[in-house]
Amino acid sequence: MAFQFKPAVMVETLPLLTEGIELTIYITLLGLVFGFMIGTVAGLGRLSQNKFNRSISSIYIEIIRGTPMIVQALFLYFGVPLATGVRINPITAGIITIAVNSGAYIAEIVRGAVQSIDKGQFEAGRSIGLTRRQTMISIIWPQAFRRMIPPLGNQFIISLKDTSLLTVIGVAELTRSGQEIVAVNFRSFEVYLTVAIVYLCMTLSIAKALRWYEKKLMARSHR
Amino acid sequence: MSDSSNMIEIRNLHKSYGDIEVIKGVDLNVKQGEVVVILGPSGSGKSTVLRCINRLEEITSGTIVVDGFDLYAKETDINYVRSEAGMVFQQFNLFPHLSVLQNITIGLIKVRKMDKAEADKIALSLLDKVGLPDKATAYPDQLSGGQKQRVAIARSLAMNPKVILFDEPTSALDPELVGEVLDVMKNLADEGMTMVVVTHEMGFAREVADRVIFIADGVIQEEAAPDEFFSNPKHPRLKDFLGKL
Ligand SMILES: Nc1ncnc2c1ncn2[C@@H]1O[C@H](COP(=O)(O)OP(=O)(O)OP(=O)(O)O)[C@@H](O)[C@H]1O
Ligand SMILES: [Mg+2]
Repeated sequence: MAFQFKPAVMVETLPLLTEGIELTIYITLLGLVFGFMIGTVAGLGRLSQNKFNRSISSIYIEIIRGTPMIVQALFLYFGVPLATGVRINPITAGIITIAVNSGAYIAEIVRGAVQSIDKGQFEAGRSIGLTRRQTMISIIWPQAFRRMIPPLGNQFIISLKDTSLLTVIGVAELTRSGQEIVAVNFRSFEVYLTVAIVYLCMTLSIAKALRWYEKKLMARSHR
Repeated sequence: MSDSSNMIEIRNLHKSYGDIEVIKGVDLNVKQGEVVVILGPSGSGKSTVLRCINRLEEITSGTIVVDGFDLYAKETDINYVRSEAGMVFQQFNLFPHLSVLQNITIGLIKVRKMDKAEADKIALSLLDKVGLPDKATAYPDQLSGGQKQRVAIARSLAMNPKVILFDEPTSALDPELVGEVLDVMKNLADEGMTMVVVTHEMGFAREVADRVIFIADGVIQEEAAPDEFFSNPKHPRLKDFLGKL
């Protein structure tokens, strides 16, 4: 039996993916919001004067970057409840996985951006009497943040795609939805092609949105 | 010996980076209203001395008293004393994400807790003073080097400092822009501002300084009033240094 491409299947598939798409977006958004917070804390922790903060941040970053996200998700969803007796639902586990995972990479982005700011900026802030904290918040962070946008965009795209790994803990996100449709109609070519196109649309949107945001920030300060 | 007419008193200052001692016992008094120019070869420790006066460096030993506050004493509020001593850098170090006006007002608002309207008023009058009344809304990257440095001077003046430390303020400027910055500094000196200036501008040293100091190898080798300093240098290193200019 020769393979025959049926575009109509793609048109039929798309509406069936709606819930999966929504869940993917939901997990990505929440995961990245928390991931950004974790990453900021850990990134600044690595630059802290306090040795304890520096070690804790480094250990976290190394563990997360050194292990596959799929293992992190399995461990959190299946392993941790055994030890703690607290079951969490797959979606929550998925959000936590994305947050903790992206947080480690975002921490490195934050650290790199802050370190890239000229030391003279810090000294100028201190020389007019700003405290370390005030200098960080008013002088260093706004400049560092601007430099973080391109690598952050990259990380957002990676994390969005990484949500597909959450199929292993049974999260009914986009990839999983595709698998379930294929199980019924066996049209893997059309269904996965549709799924891929949807991912592509989402990642391209992120890239575009961040470019727009970067331009807006530039325009605000350098008219 | 503490003398209340001294704005800055440095006693037996030593500073090492790791094993390398770069300041090897510097004593220096600067009186209120005095302009002291520091000369010396590259790497001799001129910047390090200035940075110690603003506590941008930790010192190895010695004492530095600014306006009666022992800088390195535990009970001294270092943020307060820092805002009393302004610093002007070779590379300007303006805040690129802030407008000229915001560069000048940020210290007033965050350190002096002044409200914005009042801070803006002060900033505008300082911009007037440094000859840039129409640049309030500009951003640093829209200014020439000379304009940037004049904004940096206005930024440190805003804190109403007791002393301003200048670290080669004109060295990063194109030659034709040096004059406008030196003019602003000259006016400050005439108004009685206490200034310590590291510079290679001999004309400025001759004309404006009350005292010129020569640092080499981490110690003060010679210090004298400008006439004496330039016409009758004693230390061989200074003769050599002046001969090369
Ligand atoms: N952060 C640092 N770590 C290690 N060594 C340093 C540091 N800063 C300065 N030094 C060294 O201390 C010495 C004095 O430096 P300093 O910047 O005070 O010299 P300078 O007289 O200002 O020179 P220049 O005219 O080149 O500005 C130099 O040998 C320099 O290499
Ligand atoms: Mg120097």
